[in-house]
Amino acid sequence: MTTRSWLSLYALLIRTSIKSRMQYKFNFILASFLAALIQISEFLMVAIVLFKFGAIQGWSMHEIGYLFAVMTLSKTLYRTFADEVHHLEHYLVNGELDQLLTRPMPVLLALMPQKFRIMLGEVLQGGFLLWWSLHGMMAAGQVGWSAVPQSLYIIVTGAVILFSIGLATATFGFWTTRITELQNLTEDAARTAAQYPLTLYPKWMSSILLIVVPVGLVNYIPSLYILRGELGVWVLPALAGVALLCLCLSLKFWHFGLTKYQSTGS
Amino acid sequence: MLYFTLASKAYARNLQYRGAHMVHNIASAMFGFMYACIWLGLGADYALGDYGTQGMVGYIAFTQAALWVSSFVTNGLGIPQAVRTGHISLDLMRPVHLFSHLMAKEWGQIAYQFVYKSIPIYLVYYFAFSLQLPGKAVTFLYVAIALAGAAYLSICINYLIGASALWTTESSWLYWGNHAMINLLAGFFIPIEWLPGWLQTIAWWSPYPYLLYVPTRIYLGFDDVSYLWGTLLWCVLLTLTCLLATGFLRRKVEVQGG
Repeated sequence: MTTRSWLSLYALLIRTSIKSRMQYKFNFILASFLAALIQISEFLMVAIVLFKFGAIQGWSMHEIGYLFAVMTLSKTLYRTFADEVHHLEHYLVNGELDQLLTRPMPVLLALMPQKFRIMLGEVLQGGFLLWWSLHGMMAAGQVGWSAVPQSLYIIVTGAVILFSIGLATATFGFWTTRITELQNLTEDAARTAAQYPLTLYPKWMSSILLIVVPVGLVNYIPSLYILRGELGVWVLPALAGVALLCLCLSLKFWHFGLTKYQSTGS
Repeated sequence: MLYFTLASKAYARNLQYRGAHMVHNIASAMFGFMYACIWLGLGADYALGDYGTQGMVGYIAFTQAALWVSSFVTNGLGIPQAVRTGHISLDLMRPVHLFSHLMAKEWGQIAYQFVYKSIPIYLVYYFAFSLQLPGKAVTFLYVAIALAGAAYLSICINYLIGASALWTTESSWLYWGNHAMINLLAGFFIPIEWLPGWLQTIAWWSPYPYLLYVPTRIYLGFDDVSYLWGTLLWCVLLTLTCLLATGFLRRKVEVQGG
């Protein structure tokens, strides 16, 4: 099959997934409402600290808002398309991965559209925050219009990095079956940490957040260039390179992990 | 006796996974460490109210340990899973009230988490941040009461979340919604008095402050013992709600499969 037909198949599966969710409208509305509530409360936790204290370690309110917005939007992009990668444990524990293995297509392509998530709340909230922080910094003359396309660009590279981290973490499930605890560390804790400037943390911890679980590359490092003019323009192409590298490595790891899969029964 | 057996079995079942849980404690400790770092960073530039920097680190350490008693209980007390498998019909047929039956099991779970999660996690912070224990013995008594009340409230809230699984397939969202409210309104990361006025009002009209904020304030030696009356009030209110919900769910049970 050509790439084109894979893509059209992928789009078809996503459409089916949306249709199936719409069969239970009350559930869909309830879930969307609660997701928005969770998102708002997450944002308020950061916003309250910012409004009470203003700057954190030399980072202004707008700058931290920007870090948070980029992280939210990258995560949203990743979870919209690949939410089921994050929920692989369910397939491993219930033995449902067996069904996907028998399909005449790559497992990942069968897994990802199982549940396409419409994350309107996150998009609106992240988008608003991005607009608010960029608008504030433009008014102060800190950044120019070029920051807008640059921001959109790093949201995409960030999503690729987050997806790679998520995929690599999920792959560990082929050995351990249960992955929630590990996800807690590599996805939730790491992402929450990167909502603040990494200079807050001790050296060993910020190094981990840049090298081992590179969430710092999603928002912190690009912000150094885009917002503060540090490092250099080379950061942008380098990010694409790193994101691609992360993706290749995690895909390789995923394929290796799949060969070690043992069904757990129903 | 039956209830005690249910609780002790739940405790014993968890003992099997001690090793895995200890690994998970590392992840949990990291979370708290990160929050503490944020307050240390803020404390370097600003005065942190009544608490001071070291006090805020103590605050975070205690809430992180207390989470395992008053927040991380079984999702919906296992009811959503029982609805999915159809097991709920058997549970409702038992000659024990569903609420007290599930509660007894959960007390065993919470007792386990207190011993194997809260205490080890707090010990890590105790040494890592050179924290201080409360000076007065009576403080420990009040903290124990506050935490027991918090655990009970959490059981009630999760029972209600579980009960909702009989009407919706998305009850897990309620579980996460409840977590989000704990993060924001229970004083999990930001003490309640630092929230904006309108949010403080919402918080104090809800049971959330009694889950973490009240036990933590008492532990840190602030004179907040009278808050325990609020804990008691919410325990009574939520117990009544749970009994009412059980009445409703007994009327019509739809299971989602088998």
